Amino acid sequence: MFDRRLIQNFDWVLLLLLLFIATISIINLYSATYAIRNAGGAQVFTKQIYWFSIGFIVLFIMTSFNYYRLERFANAFYFLSIALLILVLIAGKVTSGSQRWLGFGPISFQPSELAKISVVMVLARFFSEEGGYREYRLRDLGRPFILIGIPTLLILKEPDLGTAILVVVVSASIILFVKINRKSLLIIVLTALSVAPFIWLNLKEYQQKRIMTFIRPDKDLFGAGYHIHQSKIAIGSGQVWGKGFLKGTQTKLHFLPEQHTDFAMSVLAEEWGFIGAALLLCLYLLLILWGLNIAKDSKDKFGSITAIGIVAFIFWQVVINVGMVTGLLPVVGIPLLLFSYGGSSLISTMAAMGLLMNISMRRFMFQGSYIPKK
Amino acid sequence: MKIKEKKWIRFRIYLVAVFFLLGFLTVLARSFQLQVLEKNRLKTFARSSYEGIIKLPPKRGTIYDRKGHELAISIEVGSVYSHPKRVKNKVKTSSRLSQILKEKKSRILKLLKSKSSFVWIKRKIDPDRARKIKALGLDGIGVITEVRRCYPGREIAAHLIGFVGSENQGLEGLEKKYDNFLSGPQYSLIHMLDAKRRPFSISRPIPSGNGKMHDLILTIDKDIQYKAQQALRLAVKKTRARAGHCIVVNPDTGEILAMAVVPEFNPNIFFRYKPYQWRNRTVTDCFEPGSTIKAFLLAASLEKGVVNPNTRFDCEQGKYKIGTKTVRDTHKHGIMSVSEIIMHSSNIGAIKIGQKLGYGTFYNYLQQFGFGKKTGINLMSERKGFIRPPKDAKKIEQATLFFGQGMTTTSLQLVMAMAAIANGGKLMRPYVVKAVVDESGRVVKETGPEMVRRVISRRTAGRVANILEKVVSNEGTGAKACISGFRAAGKTGTSQKVDPKTRRYSRSKYVASFAGFVPVDRPRLVILAVIDEPRGITYGGIVAGPVFSDVGSWCLNYLRVDPQLRLVEKGVNQGETERSNIQKTVVCRPAPRVKGGALPDFRGLGMRDVLKRGRSLGLTVLLKGTGLAYKQDPRPGSSIKKTTMVKVCFRPPT
Repeated sequence: MFDRRLIQNFDWVLLLLLLFIATISIINLYSATYAIRNAGGAQVFTKQIYWFSIGFIVLFIMTSFNYYRLERFANAFYFLSIALLILVLIAGKVTSGSQRWLGFGPISFQPSELAKISVVMVLARFFSEEGGYREYRLRDLGRPFILIGIPTLLILKEPDLGTAILVVVVSASIILFVKINRKSLLIIVLTALSVAPFIWLNLKEYQQKRIMTFIRPDKDLFGAGYHIHQSKIAIGSGQVWGKGFLKGTQTKLHFLPEQHTDFAMSVLAEEWGFIGAALLLCLYLLLILWGLNIAKDSKDKFGSITAIGIVAFIFWQVVINVGMVTGLLPVVGIPLLLFSYGGSSLISTMAAMGLLMNISMRRFMFQGSYIPKK
Repeated sequence: MKIKEKKWIRFRIYLVAVFFLLGFLTVLARSFQLQVLEKNRLKTFARSSYEGIIKLPPKRGTIYDRKGHELAISIEVGSVYSHPKRVKNKVKTSSRLSQILKEKKSRILKLLKSKSSFVWIKRKIDPDRARKIKALGLDGIGVITEVRRCYPGREIAAHLIGFVGSENQGLEGLEKKYDNFLSGPQYSLIHMLDAKRRPFSISRPIPSGNGKMHDLILTIDKDIQYKAQQALRLAVKKTRARAGHCIVVNPDTGEILAMAVVPEFNPNIFFRYKPYQWRNRTVTDCFEPGSTIKAFLLAASLEKGVVNPNTRFDCEQGKYKIGTKTVRDTHKHGIMSVSEIIMHSSNIGAIKIGQKLGYGTFYNYLQQFGFGKKTGINLMSERKGFIRPPKDAKKIEQATLFFGQGMTTTSLQLVMAMAAIANGGKLMRPYVVKAVVDESGRVVKETGPEMVRRVISRRTAGRVANILEKVVSNEGTGAKACISGFRAAGKTGTSQKVDPKTRRYSRSKYVASFAGFVPVDRPRLVILAVIDEPRGITYGGIVAGPVFSDVGSWCLNYLRVDPQLRLVEKGVNQGETERSNIQKTVVCRPAPRVKGGALPDFRGLGMRDVLKRGRSLGLTVLLKGTGLAYKQDPRPGSSIKKTTMVKVCFRPPT
C-alpha cells in the first residue's frame, strides 16, 4: 500500500503555500483581536493555532489513501451531508438568527462545509462517469441540477446565503468546465434571470438590504452600509505601505465589525497596505495556478474535475470575500479561506487541500498505464 | 481518445486559468484603487468621522506685573462630560448630577438625552465638586481636568489684561494681543466610537500643534495700579461721573506703571458686563483735552522763543472776539504774564500766545509731542486722535486749538506728551509689556525704553515745569493737585464735550482732566487723571486734581522718594493734607487792623477778591469751597466791630 513514490512526489509547493498563508493568517489574527485580547481575543488567536494544527493533521490524513477510492464513496458521502443538512434544520443550534451549527458534545461544526466538498465530489463523479468528451445538453444536466439544488436549498433554509451562493458558483464553474451546449447554456442563463425576481422576494429583509446597499452604498452609511463603508475606510487608510503591525486604527478601534472573521482582510490591508494585500492575493493566485496545474496533470478525469472544483472553491471564496471587503460585491457572509477565524471552515478547507494534495501526489503513479475505474 | 481527452481538459484548464487570473486582477485593481488612488479621501474619512475629537482649551502663560505678582494665571479645574449613549438611568443620573452641580435637573436630563456621542455637562467647576462627581462613578459620566484662566486680582488692570473665552482664546486686551505667545499647545481628547457610535475609550489629553507657551512680564506695578484704580473709583463716585481714566507713567522710560479705567469690570465674569465696559478707554477713546494742551502751547512758545514767562498779554477782561465768535474766560483777567495765563488757565491769554507762535508751528509741535498719531503701544485698537491741519482750519478753529478745543487725543497720548515735558523734552514710546519669557525662563522678546524724538530742549522743559508748578500752587487752577512735601507740576483741563445730537458743545457735559508730574526737579511719575462727565463741579483742577494728588503722594511714599524737607516745614501753604476732603478749608491769617462799618457783601466775588477785601478789613476769612462766593456768615451788613471772622462759602458758577 505504501509507496515510496508518495514521498518522492510529495507536493512541497502546495504545503509551503499553505504554511505561508497560515502564518500570515495567524499573525494577522493576533492583530485583529489585539484590541479585545482581554475580552476573549487572546483565546481566538490561540484557538486558531490549534485549528491550523488540526487542519494540517486532517490534510495529511486526506493524503493517506488513494483518492480514486473516494469516487466510490462520493454518493454515500453526498447523502450523509444531505442528511446532516436536514438534521441541522431540525436540531441545529440557533445563533444570531440562523441555524447552521450541529453540535456533538463539545465539537460543533457546520454541515454546509461538508456539503461543499461532497457536491464537488458527486459532480466530479457524475461528469467523469459519462466518459469521453462531449457537449452536455440540458436534458443531460437534470441529475446534476438536482444534486446541486437539494443542498443549496437546504443551506438557504438555514439561512446561509454565502455558502449557498458558493455551492452554486462552484458547481456552475464545474459545469462550464466540462463544456455544455451553447443553446442549453443560453436557456439556463435566461431561466436564472427570470427566476431572479422570485428569489429576491424570498430573501430575508436583511439580505435584500445588503444587496440594495451594494447597489447604493452611500445611501445608508451607518445602517446596512456600515460594514462595507468601514471596511473601505480601513483598507483605504492603509495606503501603499500600511500603518504597521498592530497600528491600524480603524480596525483596532472596533469601527470594523467581524474583523477577525469575514473582514480579516481589511485588517491586513490597513496594517500592511496595498503591498500586504497584494502579497496575500498573489499567494492565493499561486495556490490556484498550482491547483490548476494539478488538475491538468491529474491522471484521470475524476481527479481533474475534483481538483478544478477545489480550485474553484478557493477562487470564488477569495474573490467574493475580497470583493466584499473592498465594496466590489455585496456583503454575503463568506470568510476568506485559510485566513479568517473559524474552525469548521478551516478544517473543511484543509480537508479539501488534502484532497488536492492527494491528487497531486498520485498524478504520476500510473502514468501511461491503464487506469482502472470502479 | 485518451490523449484527445487529455488535450481537451488541458485546453479547458487554460481557459479556467485565464478566467481566474482576470478575477484576481479585478480584486487587486480594486485594492489598488482604494489604497493608492483614493487613499486621501478615505483616510480623511477615517479621521474625521470616526474618531471623535474634542479640543480642549490650551494652557496659557502667566501674566506678571513688574514685581512678579501674578495678574493672570491658569488653574486646573474639572469639567464634567457625558457619553449620553452610555448613561443607563438618565433620570437618576441627572438628579444626582444636579445635586452637586447646582444645575437644573431638566437641563442636565436634556443633555443626557442628546443624540451626540459626547456632551459637556458643565465646564470648569472647582476641583472639590469634580472629585465628588468622580466618586459617584456614574456610567457614562466622566470628569476631565481642564485649564481655566483666572484673574486673582479681579478688577486689577482688567482693562489692560483683557480676558479669554471659554476655549481659552484671548478675546480682549493683552490676552488677545499676545494670544500667540500666551496660549500653549492645543490639547485634544480623542474618543473612540464603536459601530453604534458609542464611545468606549477616551484618551488622556494629548497635545496637538506646536504652540509654545510664554509668560508676560508687564511694566505695571500691581500696587500702583490698585491705588490708581481706587483713587479714580472714589473720584468718579464722588462726582457722579460717567467714567474716568488714570495713567501713571515713568517719564524716563515710558513704562506704564498703572492704567486704570472706571467703571471697572471683573474679567473672571466678564460676560456679566456690557462690551463697552471691557474697552481700555485710555487708548481706544478720544476726547478734547481742553486747557491741558496749554502746557504744550507754553512749551512750544518758549522753545521757539516767541515769548518768555514774563511776556505780558492783555486778557481782554474775559471776552475776546474772533471773527463773529466770542471766546470767554471763566474769570475776568486784565493784563497777565505768560506764567499767569497758564496758572489761571486763561483761554484768551492762550490765544494771544498762540497767535504769536502761529497755528502751523503749534500744529507741528503738537505732532512732535505725539498727538494725532498712534503712540505705538502694543495694545488693542489704539486710536490716533485728531488735530486739524493748518490748511483746513478756519480762524476760530485755529484760535480754539490753543486752548485744546477742536482736537482730540487719547489719554495715553496726553500723558506721554506730559512725560516729555517731565523728562526734559524727550517723547518716549510707551510700553506695558516688559518681556515675553518662555517656559524655561528664557527671554524671547524684550522691550526697553525707546525715545521717539526730542521735542523740546532740556532747558525749555525745565522752564515749562517751573511754570506748571505754579498751576499746583494755591492760586493756580490745580491747587487740589498739590502733594505734601513735594514739588508737583501739571495742568488742568476742563473741556466741553460735543453733544452727538446737536453736534455742538454741550453746556452740561465736560471732561475734567489733570496731567502732571512729580517731583518737579527730578520727575519720577507722570500722572494723568481724566474724569468723564462729572456732575456738579466740573473743573479739571477740582475734579481730577485730587486723583493726581492722592495717587501721587501714595506712589511717592511707596517708591520711597524722600520728600523735600523745606516743603514739609513750610507745610500748610503748599501741602494741604486733607486730600480726601474736597471741601477743604484754607485759613488765612488776619491783618492786624480793624475798621468800623458794615460787613460788605462778598457774594458773587471770586476767592481772590474776597480775601483781598476781607483782609483789608482786618478780618479772619474762612474760605470754603471753590468758585464764586454764594454764602457768607455773618450776613452782609452786620456790624464789623463784633466780627473777627467771616466764613465765606464758594461754589462754582453754574
